[in-house]
Amino acid sequence: MRTPQLADATGAVLDGLDNVIEVGGLRQKYGDFEAVRGISFTVPRGEIFALLGTNGAGKTTTMEVLEGYTPATDGTVRVLGLDPVKQHRELRPRVGIMLQEGGFLGDLTVAETVGLWKGLSEDAGRPVTLSGGTELAGGFTLMGRVRRVDRAIMGALELVGLEKKARVKVKQLSGGQKRRLDLALAVLSGPEVLFLDEPTTGMDPEARRTTWKVVENLRDAGTTVLLTTHYLEEAERLADRLAIMHEGRIHTHGTVDEVVATSGDMITFRLPGVSWTFGDLPTLDGVAPVLTYDGGGTEVGYTLAGTDTATRAHAALRPLLAWADTRGETLGRLAVRRGTLEDVFMRVVGEV
Amino acid sequence: MKTDVLHAVRLARLDLTLVGRNTTVLFNVMLMPILIAAVYSTFPVGETAGVSGRVFVLTGVPGLMLAFAVFVNLVNAFTSRREELVLKRLRGGQPSAAAVMAGSGLSALVIFLGQVVLLGIWVHRFEGILPANVPLVVLAAVLGVAVFGLIAAAFSGMTPNAELAQVTVLPVLLVMMVAAPVAFPADALPGPLAVVAGLLPVTPIVEMMRTGFLGANHFTGGGEKLTMVEQWVGALPSIGIMLGWIVIGALLARWLFRWEPRHG
Repeated sequence: MRTPQLADATGAVLDGLDNVIEVGGLRQKYGDFEAVRGISFTVPRGEIFALLGTNGAGKTTTMEVLEGYTPATDGTVRVLGLDPVKQHRELRPRVGIMLQEGGFLGDLTVAETVGLWKGLSEDAGRPVTLSGGTELAGGFTLMGRVRRVDRAIMGALELVGLEKKARVKVKQLSGGQKRRLDLALAVLSGPEVLFLDEPTTGMDPEARRTTWKVVENLRDAGTTVLLTTHYLEEAERLADRLAIMHEGRIHTHGTVDEVVATSGDMITFRLPGVSWTFGDLPTLDGVAPVLTYDGGGTEVGYTLAGTDTATRAHAALRPLLAWADTRGETLGRLAVRRGTLEDVFMRVVGEV
Repeated sequence: MKTDVLHAVRLARLDLTLVGRNTTVLFNVMLMPILIAAVYSTFPVGETAGVSGRVFVLTGVPGLMLAFAVFVNLVNAFTSRREELVLKRLRGGQPSAAAVMAGSGLSALVIFLGQVVLLGIWVHRFEGILPANVPLVVLAAVLGVAVFGLIAAAFSGMTPNAELAQVTVLPVLLVMMVAAPVAFPADALPGPLAVVAGLLPVTPIVEMMRTGFLGANHFTGGGEKLTMVEQWVGALPSIGIMLGWIVIGALLARWLFRWEPRHG
């Protein structure tokens, strides 16, 4: 399945909302390699939009263009109505970025790192308004002077659950802890737009849940979030809308429900014996079954792709059960299940 | 602009903190230049250009200290920070590109000026000489840091990783050591070499420093005493050469400097 690219219906037309992120016909080339091949999407204010895809799908490249790291080879890109490269200076204080990896000074402590970013943000006229429950006093120890850690810094650390690591050197943190520190830096100055590149990679399940909560709270407070991920459940849990990218193109997009609906509902059951053929079985919702023979039985599967996504499974079961009654057969292990994001994803990734 | 200045100062303070936390850097940046000054000052015998050979060397050696305190220091800092994606993160954060560069330059300037002050104390304590023209010395330091900071940015762009930084800085170090008129006046080199050496950025710094310290003509002459005005007039060609190198350095840095490691 290949949905039309959104380019023909730009965001403003789509919903008339204030679009914080607008991407129109974006192409990005590195030498001869075209990492992004003409994608378009918009993200209205206060929405979480997820770019889903395998490694090398072009997600990070798209993010870097939006973050102003590289100018677009072709197409238009606007963040808060500004050009991320040409108007970088105006845009910078209003944007939070969580990079995919690295970029810390290993010799600084966690609190010093947050303190540095807090200072840089204050210099740019965006004071940090977070406030933690405690502060750590400065003073002299056997190892030398330790600096005071103020409430704003502790607030940022508490947000991501790193308050106990305040005085630990960054190079001693685990991968997941570094990701959390990264998140703290990205949200520190209350950004209007937040770019999260694979935010929970390397985190344990608890930290992942904390991260989701932080992102949701920010969204509820009006922050617009663009995130990339290759965790389907993350996209399903967080994203108001999502797009699945593969080889530089957006293959499907919409709300989670809309995207999942395109995958169809599955009806599966088992019949005894291996003498069944297509002709013996009914077509449901205009769909013929797929038959697999194994272990002396036949596995039958239907994928319903009817347009009435809410009722198609029910509508298909009635003739199926009637057929079984007429033939005197029992449908073994009968299962009806909705399509999942994974089904859609695997189909997009499998299709070339 | 104000934001950029605040950012640069904050990043410079950060740099100085980090120099203090890394023993290797601490040695290369802080001790190495002083060590060079000490070693060079033991070579000369007799008099050069009207002063004792030792004084002649000590007042010119800041030109060589610059190589370590600023050039090697910044090539290493830029390269390792690019490798660790620190530069990328900073550029995606609040500070502008100019503020990041200025911050590094400022920290290098503070370190270098500190070393020049140490040297001044040394020259005063053991040779009984007080610097004659402090503003000229400071101007030489500022111009020197600007030129070598920019050249360091350009060289770090040609340096794939922090380990190779030790190698890529060598050509510049060698040229500086050979051409800089630290142990002998610039015109002691044979004809064409003297002209080339005079145009390299290290020579004007050495000559401005020496004239600033001694208040005598070490630009074109053999150490005749100069008035304050004559010192500044005499320094004009050197200042001109340095300004030219700032333009060249800025163009090179713009062309070669990289914020991120190469893709793939």
